[in-house]
Amino acid sequence: MSSTPQLISITPLPPAEPPPPPPPGPGQLILNGIFAENPVFRLALSLCPAVAVTTTVMNGLILGVAVLLVQVLSSATVALARGAIHPRVRIPVYTLIIAVWVSAIDMLLAAYVPALYAQVGLYVKLIVAFAIIISRLEVFASKYPLIPSLWDGFGMGLGFLLALVAIGAMRELLGSGSIAGFPLTPVKPLLFFALPAGGFFSIALLMALFNRVERAMGGGRAGPAPGGGGAHG
Amino acid sequence: MSGERREITTIVLSMVAVCALGAAALGGLYLVTSRHAAEQRRATEMREVAGLIAVGPGGSWTEVRQSLAPSRGLVFYRIAPVAGAGRPVELAFDLDGARVQAASTAATGAKQGKLVPLGTIYVARRGGATAGFVVEGTTQGYKNRIRFLVGLGPEFEIAGVRVVEHEEDPGLGAEVASPEFDGQFIGRPADAGALTVTRDPMPEDWRSALTELRRMAAGPWLERHRALQARERTRPVYAVTGATISSRALTDGVRVTVERFRARWQRIAPYVSGAARAPVTAAAAQASPLAAAPLGGTR
Repeated sequence: MSSTPQLISITPLPPAEPPPPPPPGPGQLILNGIFAENPVFRLALSLCPAVAVTTTVMNGLILGVAVLLVQVLSSATVALARGAIHPRVRIPVYTLIIAVWVSAIDMLLAAYVPALYAQVGLYVKLIVAFAIIISRLEVFASKYPLIPSLWDGFGMGLGFLLALVAIGAMRELLGSGSIAGFPLTPVKPLLFFALPAGGFFSIALLMALFNRVERAMGGGRAGPAPGGGGAHG
Repeated sequence: MSGERREITTIVLSMVAVCALGAAALGGLYLVTSRHAAEQRRATEMREVAGLIAVGPGGSWTEVRQSLAPSRGLVFYRIAPVAGAGRPVELAFDLDGARVQAASTAATGAKQGKLVPLGTIYVARRGGATAGFVVEGTTQGYKNRIRFLVGLGPEFEIAGVRVVEHEEDPGLGAEVASPEFDGQFIGRPADAGALTVTRDPMPEDWRSALTELRRMAAGPWLERHRALQARERTRPVYAVTGATISSRALTDGVRVTVERFRARWQRIAPYVSGAARAPVTAAAAQASPLAAAPLGGTR
């Protein structure tokens, strides 16, 4: 088979792995998503949206909730269908599953909460390409049954949501002098933080704080944090 | 070889099945939500319209949808009350403004070729007379189309401008949708001289007055700042800092939209007021002898 030329471009088979270890409990899966493998501060995944939308707390919260929903629903779908997905085309199939859920949420938001949709509609469609979601499908949901996959999706989505809210709070406070739309200062202290470059600085500062706190609590890990497969999307 | 071929067949079939399943699910959901979404959009639009011209309890809205059939050189108007029953009236005019007989209406026009929408006009009526207009317009912004509504009083003075759709940059071009910019249009005449843009800095007293529009309706606001507004209405519109292109785009868009509307209104006014039953002359309809419409509602 390897001697014949490839007819179509398809994803290579995953390397043969030993069967995955038994899944951890729900509490540990959720904590894992929030701290040990926080999508933004640890895995550094989906940084583009994390910078683009977090100019205010509210935007971060709304997009975070949408990502949480898509992550849980996609993880559940993949966990249920994992036996039926051909391993060579798993990535396109995952993308399709995510796209269907994103489109469904997009239509529901547009129909039932148009005011909210007017604010975040543009970003909701982009969730299709969020690296964090597809990476959880590949790393976790394709190997474990429904219940642990649900908890993993929930933990990861929650970790992403909390990260976006934290970045949004920092940028809104420093950039616009308000929190969730309530003005706290009469002037804009550091407008820089509301601009895209300020988003990167906010993430860097919060990531440093995150590491510092974790070390102080005696946690942290030896060696570099686990890579999540690049910082695309 | 045959094993590989079989594998490829399996892959193709499974992908087709996945796509079909996804498409079916989304198609079903679309059928369920699209009607609701359209109603919501309509309700939002009417809220914006009512926010620009307040007709009060006795008032009503008539909607005039305009469309162009480029291949036939015809402009169609479909006139219908916004709420309640009433048979829509369809009119067609050629590009010189001459009425074409109703044999060719928008419905048959749609069948014969494509129609380009030219925006909707909402006519506010109270006590049998015209109390104001809200005209939909679009303009090319810095990034993409800006869609806006212009509220006009019965004498075609601007009652307010509201941007309803845009993709301008936050903090820069997007500020044209803020009351600090579009509040400058309130109470201005819509002719070319009054709608130019300057890059001069906005005077502080005018800016702080415009900021109050975030909390109050245009009508009472105008009463309160009458002197300031009288000073500013003869000056050009102050551009948003760092967004001169967006500011010019919206200002020019408002001017062109009002110009076109006034030309078209001459033609359709008799049909809007009493439908075709009691036609009045265009001139009479234009100079409707009513008290000035109260400007604006709440933002």
